[in-house]
Amino acid sequence: MALELTISGIDAAYGAVRALQGVSISVKDGETVALLGTNGNGKSTLMKCVMGIVRPSTGKIELKIENKNHDLTRLSTEEIVSLGVAMVPEGRRLFPKLTVEENLLLGAFRPQARPDIAKNLALCYETFDVLKQRRGQLAGSMSGGQQQMLAIARALMSSPKLLLVDEPSVGLSPLLVSNTITMIKQLKERHGLTVLMAEQNFHQAIRIADRGYLIVHGEIVFEGESVADLEANDLVKNYYLGTAG
Amino acid sequence: MPQVAHPAFLVMGAYATYVLAGYGVDPLLAGLLLMPVFFVFGLGVYQFYYSTFEGRGSDQGLRGIAFFFGVAFIVQVGLILVFGVDQQLVDASYIGTSVEFGEMRIPKRMLVAFGVALALTSALALYFSRTFTGRAIRAVAQDEGALRLMGADPVRIKRWAFGIATATCALAGALLIIVGPVDPNVDRLYIGRTFCVVVLGGLGSMSGTLVAGLILGIAESVVLTTAGTAWAPAVAFGILLVVLGVRPAGLFGR
Repeated sequence: MALELTISGIDAAYGAVRALQGVSISVKDGETVALLGTNGNGKSTLMKCVMGIVRPSTGKIELKIENKNHDLTRLSTEEIVSLGVAMVPEGRRLFPKLTVEENLLLGAFRPQARPDIAKNLALCYETFDVLKQRRGQLAGSMSGGQQQMLAIARALMSSPKLLLVDEPSVGLSPLLVSNTITMIKQLKERHGLTVLMAEQNFHQAIRIADRGYLIVHGEIVFEGESVADLEANDLVKNYYLGTAG
Repeated sequence: MPQVAHPAFLVMGAYATYVLAGYGVDPLLAGLLLMPVFFVFGLGVYQFYYSTFEGRGSDQGLRGIAFFFGVAFIVQVGLILVFGVDQQLVDASYIGTSVEFGEMRIPKRMLVAFGVALALTSALALYFSRTFTGRAIRAVAQDEGALRLMGADPVRIKRWAFGIATATCALAGALLIIVGPVDPNVDRLYIGRTFCVVVLGGLGSMSGTLVAGLILGIAESVVLTTAGTAWAPAVAFGILLVVLGVRPAGLFGR
């Protein structure tokens, strides 16, 4: 099944504040693409544009899925989710006063995902044992790491084809970050997902990424065709590795 | 935001039951028959509210409440114009008779109202926990943006929730007029009681609401018989103040 996300030349702004300028990236079937950049450089805005939460002022966002092209700039967030795109939002955005299981079941709200609920729920519980143990607990009462697992599991409940993960490492301890990133990789292989991940933790992101983009002040400043490519780049060295002259 | 026209819809349910009862329909059956009508009416009211206030972002602060106060006044005045200010009541086999348990005599109308209210509350609790839409209704109050990411349209969910809330006013209104005579101004009593029950029970807790309703009912009866009828309206506000001071999350608030 062919899937391809193509973002070409988008600008986006919050009022007078420009957040994205001429951003073009693509994500192809089965890839894990990292969107690298420190805070406030437009990673989340780009994710929100894909989900229809923020509307770009110019440019195109096209999703080719099952041989049909969809113009995501014209669809509502709900319609984009219905196409099989799921996002693990920054800050997790769980429903704190619903139980773990209720959060997961809401993840399967889109009608196409409902026939697979039993299968997906079993898979989530198998992958995240702690969620099974705490299925009746309120989501808001769990630790940050557990909440992150729930947020990822909830996104998977919609049987997505394309998974967007916004800053999975925020607020987690180094060990948990490492575990979460490994988990995303495993889930990706298991579900045959295509993943676009925004992350500022360069070392963790490149563990699972096939390739990546570096975004600075709302512009893509470097496109790395491979992890080696990214590591060799001066800008990356400058921003992340501290090894540039 | 509190829907302050809810008690007015409740009284409207009572009057609608009264009208149907005039054609010989059993009041309970009338309440049930009116539920779908009220449901559609609720959808319409929310849609109107959404297009005129919420959708334009002018529902902030007191303006949204002002809208529903306005709706409540229109309902109230409408009822007065059509039915007058006098009390109205209905008749049925279970009104005016009672069951004896040893020393106690319990009016059947009270038992009927209690049983139906319990059944309605249980049905709603099941709906909110077992169905996709029910869970989405609870979620929409917590995070609309996140609900969108689940593929649900928050406006549709809220409209549906409003429809259900209004539909319950039909049956609850029938119970109200079964329990005692109703006049167009009785909704004022219920605004205080509604706030009291919701706050005491804890926002969003169905079981809490049920228990809080029982507590308020018993407290009002005790005060009514010991201190006199003049003190009855003070009970709800008294409990409300104490709960807000001592345990703002309510009995079952989490």
